[in-house]
Amino acid sequence: MTDRSRFTGPMPATDDDEFRRDLGEIALEKFRSGRIDRRGFLTALAAIGVAPALGNKAFAAASEIIVCNWGGAAIDAVMAAWGTAFEAESGIPVVVDGSGPSAGKIRAQVEAGAVVWDVCDSGAGSSLILRDQGVTQEIDYSIVDKSKVLEGFAFSHGVTNYYYSYVMAWNPMLTGGKAPADWAEFFDTEKFPGKRTFRKSVRGMLEPAAMAMGIAPEEVYAFLGTEEGLAAAIEKFRSIRDHVIVWSSGSASQQLFLQEEVSMGCIWNTRGQLLLNEMPAGSFDMKFNATLAPGVWVVPKNNPAGSEAAMKFIRFSQEPAGQVVLLEMMGNGPANPEASSAVPEGLRPYNPSSPENRATQITYSWDWYGANQIRAEELYVDALIN
Amino acid sequence: MTTTTIDPPAAAAARRGLSDRGWYWLFVAPALIAMVVFYIWPLVQIFGISFTEPEFGLGNYAALVESRPIQTSLVITFRVAAVTTLLCLVLGYMVSYAIYNAQHRMVGVMLALVLLPFWISVLIRSFAWIVLLGRSGVVNDSLIALGLIEKPIAMMHNEFGVVLAMVHVMLPFAVLPMMANMKGINRAYVDAARGLGASEFGAFWHVYLPQTKPGILSAALLVFVLSLGFYITPALLGGGRVLMISEYITYQIQELLRWGVGSMLSVTLLVMTAVVILAAARFVNLRKALLERG
Repeated sequence: MTDRSRFTGPMPATDDDEFRRDLGEIALEKFRSGRIDRRGFLTALAAIGVAPALGNKAFAAASEIIVCNWGGAAIDAVMAAWGTAFEAESGIPVVVDGSGPSAGKIRAQVEAGAVVWDVCDSGAGSSLILRDQGVTQEIDYSIVDKSKVLEGFAFSHGVTNYYYSYVMAWNPMLTGGKAPADWAEFFDTEKFPGKRTFRKSVRGMLEPAAMAMGIAPEEVYAFLGTEEGLAAAIEKFRSIRDHVIVWSSGSASQQLFLQEEVSMGCIWNTRGQLLLNEMPAGSFDMKFNATLAPGVWVVPKNNPAGSEAAMKFIRFSQEPAGQVVLLEMMGNGPANPEASSAVPEGLRPYNPSSPENRATQITYSWDWYGANQIRAEELYVDALIN
Repeated sequence: MTTTTIDPPAAAAARRGLSDRGWYWLFVAPALIAMVVFYIWPLVQIFGISFTEPEFGLGNYAALVESRPIQTSLVITFRVAAVTTLLCLVLGYMVSYAIYNAQHRMVGVMLALVLLPFWISVLIRSFAWIVLLGRSGVVNDSLIALGLIEKPIAMMHNEFGVVLAMVHVMLPFAVLPMMANMKGINRAYVDAARGLGASEFGAFWHVYLPQTKPGILSAALLVFVLSLGFYITPALLGGGRVLMISEYITYQIQELLRWGVGSMLSVTLLVMTAVVILAAARFVNLRKALLERG
């Protein structure tokens, strides 16, 4: 009962911890393809769950920063992007705990007076809820540089750390070499035969459906906010449901493309990045024309290393160099706009937060999902099975 | 206090320590306690959550009447379970009949073949079906290579694939009770029918088949009840469109954290399963069919 109660309340619906958890799963693939060694892989596994040993207060002495993220390859990536360099600069070692800082867990730690983490990889929706529950610290913008984050992505109790996208993905081999020009074509099963994959949850899926009806990107959420708009977007899925296979996890979306089960899909760019590398040249491509979502640093109240050290680490993570490393390793787009120019040429088209890609995407609205998700999920499932 | 005297034997037993009955309880206690703590109590909690979350009342149960996806999911669940059961009965009966009418030397081998799939996890078997049935899977590729089809046929991410894989998983559960039942049937009756002039089929239909009815019913019950709660195979092969109720429960709890609705669906599934079993009890002696087979 106690465990469950952590997950109740208004916490869940708005946010997308699942995406961050998926970053962890990417570790396995990197291991298989030899991109991380066995020790690295075992460390990652241990951090995901087998060894919550890091959740031990004695370990979290004030002389180090514990960064909590969602495990897997993201552990190595955070170390490579910031951990090692931060220690070299400040003398404070960084430890990455990959056990998944869900809003429920952060709250439980703060309320129990046993805070282990200094900086947590959360989401925009969660950061707002955590703020309202009074369990996170205000970001100290005298240390953290507001100008190194895009307008609107530096919050009072959290600051954007990277971006990820829902992208339009397709296999040119199965679409006769054609690329769907827009979402209207994506939903056009006459013009583009073959199966499409959408997420099992409605998150990130309604925006493309609205755009497919010719709704201008900036009006998508206003449109979905009306009863008729939502119903129309849902009908869009009903109209092509015989051509739909849903993905319930990031790895499932990747498998569907690898096995040529689908010719198109709306998936996470991080998985698209892996597919670009894995599939034969010319059999996978993706386009940033849907939704962009931020990953957000939050600092729990009474963090062991103290407020200042945590803020300094966040400030350090705003430097472009580390953010580019994160993009290279994980496919996560830099939060700092200055970093775009530091991205290697070949990677630029696949940077979710490049100015070009930002111009063609809308920002995931945690407000909309907070207010409407449960209702929308019900309608979405209904459209797919009824 | 109504008793003032104790009958002598019981009193003697009490003086010796525990009565026979007490000893039996002592033997049963560990299993019983484990059941109550790890099974009955959580079940009671699930029951409680379904009435109390997010607020006290029957709100969650109203969804059964109001929510179309839940209704459809229940229909899909019963349809898939029924088709699976039917196919398992037909195929399982043929297998059982073949085993018990085969030469004795072969019986062991055939039995082993029936039991072999039990050693492989359902997950692995479902993945194997994915490899076989996929758009560029073994079956489609072979058919195309043979020139029988031009384009891949959709064999999974639909009900066909789910039922096919579920029949594969459930078949041993159909074969075993029917086989146990057939083992106890005396061939002399069929021989006598043949001797009295019945045709081969007539003897089977009028004499043998009725005797195997208990086996068929217990196999049907077992497969149907197990199919109702099946999760892995539909989740992997259904592509989201064959949404059986256990997958829907997972979805409510994991995706939406709606514990109330998830618990309500669990209770509903439990009640429906109980109804199926109770209904079956009218037609088949459950104790005999499930506990005293063979």
